[in-house]
Amino acid sequence: MLKKIFNILYKDLKIDLNLKHLFLSVALYLVSSIYIIYVTFDFSEIYEFDIWISLFWIVILFVSITSISKSFFHESHNRNYYYYYLFSPSELIVAKLIYNFIFLLILFFIAIVFYSLLLGNLFLSKNFFLLLFLGAFSISNCLTLISAISFQVKRNSVIIGVLSFPVIIPILKILIDISKVSHINSSWNVIENDFYILILINIIAVSLSYILFNYLWKN
Amino acid sequence: MEELKNLKYIKLFSVSLLIYAFIGGFLFDVPALPILNESIRVLYFHVPMWFTMIFLLLISCINSFYFISRKKIIYDTKSYTYTSVAVFFGFLGILSGMIWAKFTWGSFWTNDPKLNGSAITLLIYLSYFLLRNSISDEIKKAKISSVYNIFAFSMLIPLIFILPRMTDSLHPGSGGNPGFNVYDMNSQLRMVFYPSVLGFIFLGIWISKLKLVLNVLKNDN
Repeated sequence: MLKKIFNILYKDLKIDLNLKHLFLSVALYLVSSIYIIYVTFDFSEIYEFDIWISLFWIVILFVSITSISKSFFHESHNRNYYYYYLFSPSELIVAKLIYNFIFLLILFFIAIVFYSLLLGNLFLSKNFFLLLFLGAFSISNCLTLISAISFQVKRNSVIIGVLSFPVIIPILKILIDISKVSHINSSWNVIENDFYILILINIIAVSLSYILFNYLWKN
Repeated sequence: MEELKNLKYIKLFSVSLLIYAFIGGFLFDVPALPILNESIRVLYFHVPMWFTMIFLLLISCINSFYFISRKKIIYDTKSYTYTSVAVFFGFLGILSGMIWAKFTWGSFWTNDPKLNGSAITLLIYLSYFLLRNSISDEIKKAKISSVYNIFAFSMLIPLIFILPRMTDSLHPGSGGNPGFNVYDMNSQLRMVFYPSVLGFIFLGIWISKLKLVLNVLKNDN
C-alpha cells in the first residue's frame, strides 16, 4: 500500500511539474491578493497585530480553497477510469491528503514571505512556523473530502466554495485565536485547549475522509 | 404506510405536552433573576428549538449512514426530510434568540461562540440543500449528499458540544451545557422546561413524518 501511495504522489508531482501553470496560477492568485491588501492600506505596513493576522489567515483561506479544488479537478475522467483498476480508494485518498498537505505548506511559505515583505513582519517567530504547519495540516484534511464531493457535481467551482466555507470557519477561528493569543503570551498553557480541539477536528476529518471516500469514488 | 401508524399518538402526546408548556410557560412563577427578569420564560421555547434541531439532525445523519450502507433510496428521502424540518426549527431558534437578545443584551447579534455555532450549523445545512439541488441524478444525489451530511454533522460535534463549553460568554448557562446550566435551574423552571423539550421534539418528529409521506408520494409520481 505504501508503495502505491508513493506512486500516486510521484505521479501527481510529475503532472504538476509538467503542467506548471496549475501551480503558478495559484501562486499568482496568492501574490496578487496580497498585493491588493498592500494597495488598499495606505501605509505600507500594518501596525495593528489583530488586523495583520486576520488578513493573513483570510488570504490563506481563499488560496487554500482555490488550490485544493485543483487536486481532483485536474484529473480527467478517462484517467479516473484507469485508476479504478490500479488503486483502491483508501490509497488514493491518503495520497491526496499527503499531496494536498505538502502543496498547501509550500503555498503558505510563499504567502508568509510575500506578506511580511509587503506588509511588515510583526510575528515571525518559530511558533508561527509551527502554526503554519498545523494550519496547512488541518485545512488540507478538511478540504480534501469536500473537493472530492464537488468533483462529482457539474458547475463545481461555485459548489466547492459554498460547501467548504462553513466547515472551515471553526478551524480558521481556532487558528486565528491561537495566533493572537500566542503573540501576547507564548506559553503552552494558554493555547493548550484550542490545540487539542484542532487535533480532534483533524482526527475526525481524516478518519471520515478515509471511510467516506469509498462510497464517493465509483459511480 | 408504516410511517402513518403511530402518527396519531405522537401528535396527541406532543400537543398535550405543548399545551401544558404554553400555559405553564406564560403563567407559572419564575425566579426573579437580575437582568433576565421575566424574559427567562424564553427558555421554555428557545432552548427546546435547538434540542429538537440537534435531535432531528442526528436522525438525519443516521439515515444517511443507512443509505450508504444499505443503498435504499427511502433512507435518503428520510434524511432530507429530517434535515429540512431541523433547519426550520433552527431558524425558529435563531429568531426567538434574536428577539430575546435585543431586549436583554441590546443588540440582535453578538460575537459569541454559541451564536457562531448556530449560524455555522444553518450555513452548513443550507449548503447541503444547495448541493442536493445541483445534482439531477437521483442515486448520485443521494450518495453525495449522504456523504456530505455525515461529514458535516461530525464536524459540527466539536463546534457545538465542545467549543462553547470552553469559553466564557454572555449567553446564560456559560461554562457548562451549551443550552442551559443545570445548576442554574430550579425546580419551578424544570417543571415546564422538560415537558416543553419533549413536546417540541415530538412535534418535530410528527412534522417530519407527515412531510416524509408527502415526499415519498412526490418521488413515486
